[in-house]
Parts: sequence; C-alpha cells; structure tokens
Amino acid sequence: MLPMDDVRIVDLTQYAMGPFATRVLADYGADVIKIERPGGDPARRLGPFPKDVPHIERSGAFLALNTSKRSVVVDLKRPEGRDLVLGLVERAEIVVESFAPGTLDHLGLGYDRLRAVNPRIVLTSISNFGQTGPYRDWKGTDLTLYAMGGPMISQGDPSREPLKTGGRAPGYQVGYAAALASAVGLTAAERRGHGEHLDVSAFEVLAHSIDSRLGRLLGYQYNGRLVGRAGSGLGVGSGTYPCLDGFVLITSGAPRLPLTIRMIGREDLLDQPEWATLEARSHPDRVPEFDAYLLMWTLEHTKEEIRAACQQYGVLGGPLNTTADLFVDRNFAARGFFQTIDHPEAGPLTYPGFQARFNTEPPQPPRKRAPLLGEHTVEVIRDVLDMQPADIDRLRGAGVIQTREEVRDAVAS
Amino acid sequence: MPSPADERDQPLAGVRILDLTVVWAGPYATMHLADWGAEIIRIESLHHFASFTRGTLARPSQALVDTSSTSGMGYPEDRAGEHPWNRSPVFNHHGRNKRSMTLDLTRPEGQEVFERLVRESDGMIENNLPPHAEELGVTWDRLSKINPRFILMRVPGFGVEGPYRDYRTFGNHMEAIAGHPVIRAYPDLGLDYAPASVPADAASGVGGALAFTLALRQRERTGKGVYVELATAENYVPFLSEFVLDYSMNGRVWEQMGNDHWTVAPHNAYPCQGMDRWVTIACTSEDDWRALCGLMGRPGLATDERFADMPSRHANRRDLDAEISAWTREHDAHWVTQRLQALGVAAGVVLHESELLRDRHLDHRGYWQTIEHPETGVQQNVGRLWRASDTPHPPARHAPMLGQDNDYVYRELLGFSDEEYRAFIESGHIGTEYDASVP
Repeated sequence: MLPMDDVRIVDLTQYAMGPFATRVLADYGADVIKIERPGGDPARRLGPFPKDVPHIERSGAFLALNTSKRSVVVDLKRPEGRDLVLGLVERAEIVVESFAPGTLDHLGLGYDRLRAVNPRIVLTSISNFGQTGPYRDWKGTDLTLYAMGGPMISQGDPSREPLKTGGRAPGYQVGYAAALASAVGLTAAERRGHGEHLDVSAFEVLAHSIDSRLGRLLGYQYNGRLVGRAGSGLGVGSGTYPCLDGFVLITSGAPRLPLTIRMIGREDLLDQPEWATLEARSHPDRVPEFDAYLLMWTLEHTKEEIRAACQQYGVLGGPLNTTADLFVDRNFAARGFFQTIDHPEAGPLTYPGFQARFNTEPPQPPRKRAPLLGEHTVEVIRDVLDMQPADIDRLRGAGVIQTREEVRDAVAS
Repeated sequence: MPSPADERDQPLAGVRILDLTVVWAGPYATMHLADWGAEIIRIESLHHFASFTRGTLARPSQALVDTSSTSGMGYPEDRAGEHPWNRSPVFNHHGRNKRSMTLDLTRPEGQEVFERLVRESDGMIENNLPPHAEELGVTWDRLSKINPRFILMRVPGFGVEGPYRDYRTFGNHMEAIAGHPVIRAYPDLGLDYAPASVPADAASGVGGALAFTLALRQRERTGKGVYVELATAENYVPFLSEFVLDYSMNGRVWEQMGNDHWTVAPHNAYPCQGMDRWVTIACTSEDDWRALCGLMGRPGLATDERFADMPSRHANRRDLDAEISAWTREHDAHWVTQRLQALGVAAGVVLHESELLRDRHLDHRGYWQTIEHPETGVQQNVGRLWRASDTPHPPARHAPMLGQDNDYVYRELLGFSDEEYRAFIESGHIGTEYDASVP
C-alpha cells in the first residue's frame, strides 16, 4: 500500500517542472493521467537520446520525468477534448498544470470550471512568476529564474561570472515544491470537503533557497552587507582540493580544524600558538597557510583514501564524483538505489531511484516505464470515463483524441 | 500574530511533530510543515551546540563574527550579543512558527521526558549522523513500540544503513557524491573553483516535508505508524536525471558546463554596467535570437555564419558570449531584462538580496512577511512556498528563542508540576542559555 494509491491526478503539465511534480506523486502511488497534446509533450524532443538520434519515445529527459504515468492524447482546443478532461477531473482529486497563466481559463478549464464539476478538486498551477503580478507573463528558464530568485549571485568565484546550478535542477526544485503543495492541498481538501487553487511561482520557490539565500536575506537586513561571491563562509581548511586521481571536497572551519590537522598527520601544529586556540585558528591568515598544508597531503592520496580518512577522523569531506562515479559508488550500490527499467523503444536503462523509502507492506514495487505516446488513451477513456467503443471511435475519427494507432500513423507519415 | 481561527484553518493544524533537526536540510523540512499549521517542537540541549544550526558556535569570538559577516551569515550590527544563538540569520528564517524546548537526551530522566513526548506527538523528524541519532534512542524499533501510531522520518546524508552511514557530511558533500559540482564548475577553470553550495539541502527540505505529509495520510488510512527514510544524496540524484540517463544510454560524462546549456545558446550570465552586475539571457528559439540581435543593433549577427542556427551558435558560444558581453557592458542589467522580456525573450538580472527585497513583482504579490523578533527587531521574511486560495496566510510567529516554550511543553503538554519543573531547571534540562562549558 502506498500513500497515494487511492488518488487520481489529471496531469496537464509538459516539459520539465510540472512533470517532475507528477512523477514524484506517481512514485507515491498516485494514478497520474498525463494529458498529451497531439504530437506529444515537447519534452519528448529533449535529449539525451540513445546514440544521439532523436525519437519521441527515446528522450532521456522524458523517460525519467514520466515514469509510472499513463499517456492520453487529447486535443484540448476542441470542446469535446475539454469535456473529456472535465470528465476526468470529476473523477480525480488533483489537477496539476503548468501552462502560461491565463491559458487554462482560455481553454475553458479554469479553476471555477473545475470546481463546478468537482468541488473537492485541488488545482496546482505551476508558472515562472505566479498567476498574478507585473512579471506574470515574463518568460523564464532554469537559468534566468535561478538568477532572479535563487542564490546565483553568491555562487562561483568573486572575479568571475556567477554560476547557475547543473542541468534543470532549479526547475526540478520548483516541481518538487508543487508536489508538496499538491499533497498539503489534498490534506486540506480531505479535511474541509472542498479543494482550493494553489499558486506555485518558480521565482518565489527559488527565493526560498536554504542554500544561502534565506540566510543572506536576513543577514543583509541585520548588517546591511551584500557579500556576493565572497567565499563559502565555511572557514579555514574548506574547499575543493586536487588529489592523486581527481578532486576532493573538505570542510573544516576553525572549531573542527584539529580533526583535519590530525588527519593529515600535522599534530605538531597544535603546539604552535597560531593553531592552538580557536581564536588563533579563526584568523584570516590561517586560511592560505592551512590550504598549503592540506594540499600537500591531498596530492599524495586518492579520492577513496581521502574519503576513508575523513570517515575515520570525523572530518567532513569526500570525493567530487562524476556521473560515471555514481554507477560504481559502493554506497548507492549497497542500498540498491538505481533502478534498471526496460522500455520497448529505448531499451533497458539505469534511472535514479526513489527519493524517499517508506516501510510499506508489501515493499514499494519498482517504477513502471514512461508511457508511449497515447498508450493509454483508449484504456483511460473506456475504464475511467466508462465510454462505449462507438463513442471512442467517433472521437478518434474527429481527431479529438489519438490512440496508439493514430500516433503510429502520424509518425509513419 | 495569527488568530486562533486562522491557525485552525491551516491544513496541518493539530499535527504535533518533534523536531530533532540540525543545520539546514531537516530544519527546512519542518519549516514548511510549520508554515502550513503543524506544531513543531524543537528539542534542543543546553549542553550541546550543533554547529551551523543556531550559528557557528554558541559563543563566537568577534573574529568569528566578522568572518560570518563577510559570508552572509552575520549577526545584527555585527555583534553576537548576549544570546548569539537567538540572532543567527539562517535559523531565524527557517525557525519561524516553531517552538523550542530544551532537554538533555543523554541522561535517563531526559529519556523519560522524551518517551512522554513521543506518546503525545504524531511524529518526529531528525537529520543527524545515523549513529548519533541512535545513541539518543531514536530508532524506529523503539519509538514505534512507545507509540504505534508514530511517524518517524530520518533524513541521513547517505542512508541509515549502508557503507557511508557514519560518514560526516554537509549538504555540499552529499551533492559532491551525487555528482553535481563537477557538472556546474567553470568550463575554463580547475575544479578547485567549483562552487560550494547546497541545493541538495533545499531539495531534502521540500522532499522531507512532502514525505512526512504523505506519511500522515498513510497513517490515517492504515491506522499504523510509518517509518520514512530520505537520504539527501539519493534525494538529489533525480535532479540530475538527464546526466544519469545520458551516461546509461551513451556512456557520456558531462563536466564543467558552467552556465552552458546542453544545446541552447546564448545561455549565460553577461556583465553589465556597475560593480558585480549581471544579466542572464537564454535564447531558446530563432525568434529569440533575432530579437536579441535587433535590440543589440546588430541585425547582421543573426546572419553571421557562426551564429546562423542553434547548433552553430552552440558550437561557437564563446565567440557569441563575447559579442553579447561587449553590448551588455554598456547597459544596465534591469534595462536589458525589461527590453528583452518585452520582446518575449527569457532574461533575468542576477539579483542581490537587496534588490530581491525591493522587487516590485514580489511586493505586488505580497510575498514578504514582516516578522518582529525580540532580539533582532523587525525584518522581511520570505513568504510561504506557495499560495493557497482558501487557506489564511497570516504572518508567521518569529523563530523561537532557545527554550522559549519550555513552560508550554513541560507544564501544559506533559503536565509536570511546579516542583518537577524546578528540578528540571536545577538539573540543567530546562533553560534559555547554553551551559557555560559549551564554546
């Protein structure tokens, strides 16, 4: 039994932020019905692809973002398409959407309309800047939203341009926030007997970054100081250092520095006045001095030796892994984190595993592969909406929906 | 202050959660649960100071205070004050709406109080080094016997079980294990310039709050307690899914991408007029690119063969960046953003905290919460993570001062007598200041 295995979600999202949210909720057992436009979620055109050959069923981004969902192709611009979605909403608990603000109303699927067919429905709207405000219609990407909301100004070297985070990480944080919003909204709806409209703004979620933005927002108000990319603040003996076979990340700071001093075999330092007391170790001159000592030691050891030494001496530190290292990391392996999922078009691939583990009985089954375009169109309309084959055929013929057959024909032509 | 009616209307009203969290990831999880109405009781010890939770040290030297200031973790007016632990900016942000009690879990009578708390609560969240949590008696085996409806959520760095269970880390190390810093480092500098940041902690905070919320639902459905484990490193790897899939598909390893996108260019932060002023620009289509060229007054760039289509622009992105930088240097970052957005192009200023606090969009949306704190004064705090149309959003209560809610927890909640309460003060469980032996 999973926490949301009695919950149905109508998923109107596309690309990355929204699908991350519903992928997470699918992991918790929700029946996520992914409404795709004819031609499919544009994420199907995002790489990576096997051998770099684009194919709508082989997009790495899409495959990872849509596990355990069902794909239904509906043309929302057609009144009958809208009515199909309203029928699903009537039989669902949550709707998640990530259209540009105003689009849902324009499609005849605004919150008031959804609430009219299902007063208990929770609508989670994900957007760049929220459903209101002067920037409502501004464009945004992971880069520009992280720049505005997130702590980008404090990321990187003081003499260089600020750095973003990797890949689509900012958007995924927004998606994760939307999943949380949906779960809390569901809790509220179940208590109150009626749903509500949740407004998730990427700009605002990223301004929430606990990784320095929250502290600095108050810190600036405390002392009027803007610190930019002035350093990590983690103190002496902290940073990224080269070693024999790569790089390691070590964090010491004046209070914990004796542990690092012992790890590198320089106990003699602790007898010297510059290093003996906390006050002395806090002096800014100690930072470059200790970096030289630490570097001499790291350069003579491997990543794995340094990881083991850190563990032994209680020092905060370890290797800087590449993606390839993840696949051989013994902790991920011992915990069985990664999942191999087969797919008829993309083949068996390694995916990141579950983000949280519940002690459910029976244990949580592995994820199901991402759906083929339109794979569940007939199944969902027949089983969830109880529609007769003749009516389904009529909708197919009119181009309101696409089943696997139409999709195959479309791809072939 | 929120009214009682507003508090009752919160989605998680009536849920009581014990909070044994430290540093950032755990406290950020309980921040959201507190924002949406759960009663969060921080259990803190007067005899132990977890660094980076309520500041670096309980009693930092002025030198350390000055160091903290230059990294954005400074104290009001650069003075630690009599109670530095009540004046730390990160704590005072994520601590809002929470309660603080003091209790020494390393002593038998502390464990007796702890058991009573477990009986009176719905669950607990902790993110300590797994062996440390277990030394304090925090195990699923024990707590589920004390309270069969209890929810225990543990947020270790690498796992409650596994080879790295006793491996000490901060978020930046978990992120390094997850493979992030190598990807985001500068393309043209050594990996020793890889930034030290911890989006993995923010991810664990949101993921932790989500997992706990769903554990509550699971408990309502089954009538039984729930044990949840969320390891920060595992929680973060899915944020890098494309990289994992590309390695799985093609054996490709991406390193040192800096601000580059896999395929899109231009896609970078560009210098503008003034000190440390930057604008980010992402042209995701041919229309975007032509609009940028037009605004730059360089329509010819759009037909330059180096930049004629997306693959060419991406291949020649350093030349492209040089052309754009030469133009942005002459302009104000906000002007560039406004003009490009008017043309439908994604652009954004790399905002300093001071600008974010004055941002007109956030102001229009009423994003900031004004919170008065007895030891730091009045400040603006971030809003809730999202808005909910039918839930009241009163301003939050200030982050708790150490031991601020001892009276409520010991007397009101657990029913200890005046005499017992005094005994807990004398034995060093109850108080509002760290023991003199704590540095």
